[in-house]
Amino acid sequence: MQSWRRKSLWLALLASWLLVLLGLFPLLRLAVPTSPRAGAPQGWPRWLDAELLQSFAKPGELLEDGPRPPQALRGGSCNWGACFDTSKCRGGGLKVFVYPAAGPVSETRRKILASVEGSRYHTLSAAEACLLLLLSPDTSTGECDPVPPQWDGGRNHLVLSLHPAPCPRTFQLGQAMVAEASPTVDTFRPGFDVALPLLPEAHPLRGGVPGQLRQHSPRPGVALLALAEDGGRWHVAGTDFSACPWDGRCEQDRGPKQTHPGATLPNATFCLIPGRGPDVLHFLQALQAGCIPVLLSPRWELPFSEVIDWTKAAIVADERLPLQVLTALQEMPLTRVLALRQQTQFLWDAYFSSVEKVIHTTLEIIQDRIFGPSAHPSLLWNSPPGAILALPTFSPSPSDFPFYHLQQGSRPLGRFSALIWAGALGQPPLKLIQAVAGSEHCAQILVLWSSEKPPPTGWPKTAVPLTVIDGHRKVSDRFFPYSAISTDAILSLDAHSSLSTSEVDFAFVVWQSFPERMVGFLTWSHFWDEARGGWGYTAKRTNEFSMVLTSAAFYHRYYHTLFTHALPKALRTLADEAPTCVDVLMNFLVASVTKLPPIKVPYGMWHQEARPPPLEPGGPGLRQEPQPAAQNCINQMAAGFGHMPLVSSRLRLDPVLFKDPVSVLRKKYRSLEKP
Amino acid sequence: MCASVKYNIRGPALIPRMKTKHRIYYITLFSIVLLGLIATGMFQFWPHSIESSSDWSVQKRSIRDVPVVRLPADSPVPERGDLSCRMHTCFDVYRCGFNPKNKIKVYIYSLKKYVDDAGVPVSSTISQEYNELLTAVADSDYYTEDIARACLFIPSIDLLNQNALRVKETAQALAQLSRWDRGTNHLLFNMLPGGPPDYNTALDVPRDRALLAGGGFSTWTYRQGYDVSIPVYSPLSAEVDLPEKGPGPRRYFLLSSQMALHPEYREELAALQARHGEAVLVLDKCTNLSEGIPAARKRCHKHQVFDYPQVLQEATFCVVLRGARLGQAVLSDVLRAGCIPVIIADSYILPFSEVLDWKRASVAVPEEKMSDVHGILQSIPQRQIEEMQRQKWGSVSNPLFLPLIPPQSQGFTAIVLTYDRVESLFRVITEVSKVPSLSKLLVVWNNQNKNPPEDSLWPKIRVPLKVVRTAENKLSNRFFPYDEIETEAVLAIDDDIIMLTSDELQFGYEVWREFPDRLVGYPGRLHLWDHEMSKWKYESEWTNEVSMVLTGAAFYHKYFNYLYTYKMPGDIKNWVDAHMNCEDIAMNFLVANVTGKAVIKVTPRKKFKCPECTAIDGLSLDQTHMVERSECINKFASVFGTMPLKVVEHRADPVLYKDDFPEKLKSFPNIGSL
Repeated sequence: MQSWRRKSLWLALLASWLLVLLGLFPLLRLAVPTSPRAGAPQGWPRWLDAELLQSFAKPGELLEDGPRPPQALRGGSCNWGACFDTSKCRGGGLKVFVYPAAGPVSETRRKILASVEGSRYHTLSAAEACLLLLLSPDTSTGECDPVPPQWDGGRNHLVLSLHPAPCPRTFQLGQAMVAEASPTVDTFRPGFDVALPLLPEAHPLRGGVPGQLRQHSPRPGVALLALAEDGGRWHVAGTDFSACPWDGRCEQDRGPKQTHPGATLPNATFCLIPGRGPDVLHFLQALQAGCIPVLLSPRWELPFSEVIDWTKAAIVADERLPLQVLTALQEMPLTRVLALRQQTQFLWDAYFSSVEKVIHTTLEIIQDRIFGPSAHPSLLWNSPPGAILALPTFSPSPSDFPFYHLQQGSRPLGRFSALIWAGALGQPPLKLIQAVAGSEHCAQILVLWSSEKPPPTGWPKTAVPLTVIDGHRKVSDRFFPYSAISTDAILSLDAHSSLSTSEVDFAFVVWQSFPERMVGFLTWSHFWDEARGGWGYTAKRTNEFSMVLTSAAFYHRYYHTLFTHALPKALRTLADEAPTCVDVLMNFLVASVTKLPPIKVPYGMWHQEARPPPLEPGGPGLRQEPQPAAQNCINQMAAGFGHMPLVSSRLRLDPVLFKDPVSVLRKKYRSLEKP
Repeated sequence: MCASVKYNIRGPALIPRMKTKHRIYYITLFSIVLLGLIATGMFQFWPHSIESSSDWSVQKRSIRDVPVVRLPADSPVPERGDLSCRMHTCFDVYRCGFNPKNKIKVYIYSLKKYVDDAGVPVSSTISQEYNELLTAVADSDYYTEDIARACLFIPSIDLLNQNALRVKETAQALAQLSRWDRGTNHLLFNMLPGGPPDYNTALDVPRDRALLAGGGFSTWTYRQGYDVSIPVYSPLSAEVDLPEKGPGPRRYFLLSSQMALHPEYREELAALQARHGEAVLVLDKCTNLSEGIPAARKRCHKHQVFDYPQVLQEATFCVVLRGARLGQAVLSDVLRAGCIPVIIADSYILPFSEVLDWKRASVAVPEEKMSDVHGILQSIPQRQIEEMQRQKWGSVSNPLFLPLIPPQSQGFTAIVLTYDRVESLFRVITEVSKVPSLSKLLVVWNNQNKNPPEDSLWPKIRVPLKVVRTAENKLSNRFFPYDEIETEAVLAIDDDIIMLTSDELQFGYEVWREFPDRLVGYPGRLHLWDHEMSKWKYESEWTNEVSMVLTGAAFYHKYFNYLYTYKMPGDIKNWVDAHMNCEDIAMNFLVANVTGKAVIKVTPRKKFKCPECTAIDGLSLDQTHMVERSECINKFASVFGTMPLKVVEHRADPVLYKDDFPEKLKSFPNIGSL
């Protein structure tokens, strides 16, 4: 018996793991247990001589199977190990070169090119590249491209087409990978080709329309089913789905009929999508609408199936079982409906809502294959904010990111590093350093010296280590991922900032509850300026806010990595040129990742009066009104992101007894309440 | 005090070591095979409990008594495997529709002994392992002995080892099965495919449309979404008890333990060992073992002898190199020993790859990169190595994980639980109706002996007012997911809460919108560990921390009503109804446990003044109350098996609360008192 215990080990594990999975779709309960008819011999017999049976393999047979030389590549079939030369990607990692277009460039092609060029993997040199991207000719040029110059039998090439090619290729694919929309499962080579979504012609370049889901749970009374019809329409069936509206099998009663014209998004809980060709466009529509796609025996590979776990967002069902599918959908537990709906929205927003996201996801998949063991874990692909925003180069461990503490059962490290950005400065900011060093949570103080002049001497002696780092005099440098930052939390400060130790202490404790957000003291709010037809923002005190100033804010050090390595260079340059813009940019970045507002904590008003006017014009000041140039910055940022990511909040987090008429002795943060 | 925010690491390890009957190995194998089939196309829906239901009388017979079937030499042979098969083309799903709830039923053909014309057996009748597998299936709930109701058919012809059978004759035996029909819905098991000299990566026995659960598939032979890749069973490590080893550095960095390796591979490994010295250990067969020692259990390096598989536990990484076959039994040994497998076998379809994320637990290295394997492994950070060794996963998955701020226009539904305090109830209704975002008011009439007041007597308010009558006077009724609730946000409010201002309530709703997955309430409470008594204590003092909010007035997502009513663990619901107390603590536990997040306390409010009950709310009553509440916390913590409540030091106030700012410009000027 002992031996069987061992045997069961890792399979039992798989089982428990899978049972967790199963817990997600417990749609069908086990029916009545089979009731055995007593007495009648049945089942598989218990052999009297079972002990005498031989093992399926002779002793040693499992070990001694005749060796043979490494297998040569089989003609015609390619896989990643055999057909992609990763040695070219050594050093710089993935570098992508895209062949320039010959002749007129179509709109789709222009978007793809812009996306690739905006990617952090792009290179202008074909020699330096380890992936060469060949765009399939699309409809409007009508011209077929000749064999590209560096073709080399297709080695390290990716042939990419967002739409079905209008003319046959004039050359053999050879060892090239194919990234195409909705490839059929018969020709798709898993782990080598990339399955793309079929995008509508007018898909936006970046940003994109957010998911349509406005609430987590379906509204009561919303239609259960919508069925994809030809021409991008949806047939919305009522909650009475005794009629099975597909396959012509039960046509007689189709329930209250309601046909949406054009590409209106379906308003239903489930979207039935037949698995044959032209309906794949419906798939993205359903995803965007938060309508759970029910794919009926799809003949095409689901987009990015290599990395996306579609079982969390869609249902694949057999089209031959209409009644069973309908019953199963009807009986699906609320918990699963909720999870599926939310996942559709996350996936839409992370990977599909713009051409840029689709292209970047494709490159990220190739990069992951090159990284091998250091690639994104599946968790990073399949939970917010998604793999494009979670850089695997930051850390191999999800617990180091600010996003996965709940799933990992982990928590951020218990201390913070203060990062003081110092420009032209005569004296070290003694008061600030003392206030910060006085916090029990402070691990170290880093002064980022960013001036032509050499840093002054006479830094105060503090209980925590103080290090002066030489900056490069660019504003965006303050968000560089310095290796000296040893904690998860950063307290970003200006030399001119004024804070008290209890403010720091309380803010840090709040940040630990919201490690993915920025927690700050001073706020700006953005607004839509009808008169100017653009965005504006103000430092005026209002009842809401959407940005916190980085001259005094806690945030996770991961955002330094993201700021430096994931933001388009153009946006960082913009921030360097208009320094107040850097606050806007950092807030845009964090908001686009979290989709949530920052958090404001109390800030003593006496700081304002005590504070000297900023010495450096344009330096990120504490509360100055943004200049007109800066007003323009927010619009440029919005254009760069493709949308307005900022979210407003109407609350401030205060200590539980803040300014309550109770004894001061009861209060932990009593000095926060100075008049 | 942030340290009191407690996180729990739950969830079993990926490789649990549990005491199980051997049957479970096979039923598990079979269940996963079915899942593999299902995950990719046939039907995603599946019964959620896989149980063995044996215990009925079974016949006892001898293998020697099984009937003999003579196969004529010219009996038909099935087509070779159809590589284009997919679930929707080759699988007859209609056969699975006989049983209620789509429950899949499996039929096993009875055991026969097949001989050819000359009376020579086609194969050994059945192996020990296959017999155990079939026994496990037959004992499970999947099994049916009614062939007409079966969805899947499993032949009793043992195909586990291709070397142990005659290919053509075995195929003939398959073809004559009573429901063969080109192999449709037939499931075959094979662990050792191919044979010399080619060693095909899939079973060579022609099998037409039959599904194959096979060990050692390659990308060329594997029918994605149709076949299932299974591990090659290793009897070796199964016989040895290996202690569990925690993560951390091991004596050897890289170990190779396979005995039959191609000379080219062995040269490469030897070169690796020469370059990296002690860190790499390459083992081989022992040449001079004394008599009586099983050679399979020993490995040698030069003259040093190692016990196998124990030696695998001494290494961080263990090489799993392809041999003649892609699937290697050593993979099972390596996994069981807690060594991270380094799989060097191009195009190998890893076992259960449809449903398992192998990246989490193994490293794949292309064959041509074998000489770099040390460098590739060195580049993996220690943290990641430990995570691969540990294989822990998710502790909490928040049911409302999508960051979403519901539109304000949706509003909220106020639910007032009442018994007979009509006057107070009407005041609450009037007060609550002043809140701008209120969209509906639901009165839960919990008094079965008395009718609610006539329609005409109710206050006239601007939103719909509905009265729901309950069948029993239970506290749980306040948390029932009534169909009448059309908004996501619910305000649970007692019929005596008249002190909350309209601003206070409206602000509470807006805070809920920013935290839709949390309980948002007014007075906060705390749980504390009583060191003297070694148990939890309920604390209502005005402290700097909160871990619960009272649901006498609290906003939350209506999904939690569904959870409270249908998914509350253990007997908590009954406990609450029996004690007529602690429904709020139960709700706090439930939400914190499922989301892993703390409550949000809003505004300075510390208590609900209850004008009618102040007279009886004496000190002694107060103390009984505290004892009872503490009891609830201890009871719930034991039912949940953990203390899910999270302690925080913050509350939410309006942005300009108590700021030096003109009151009339503030959105929520009247935020109330303590």
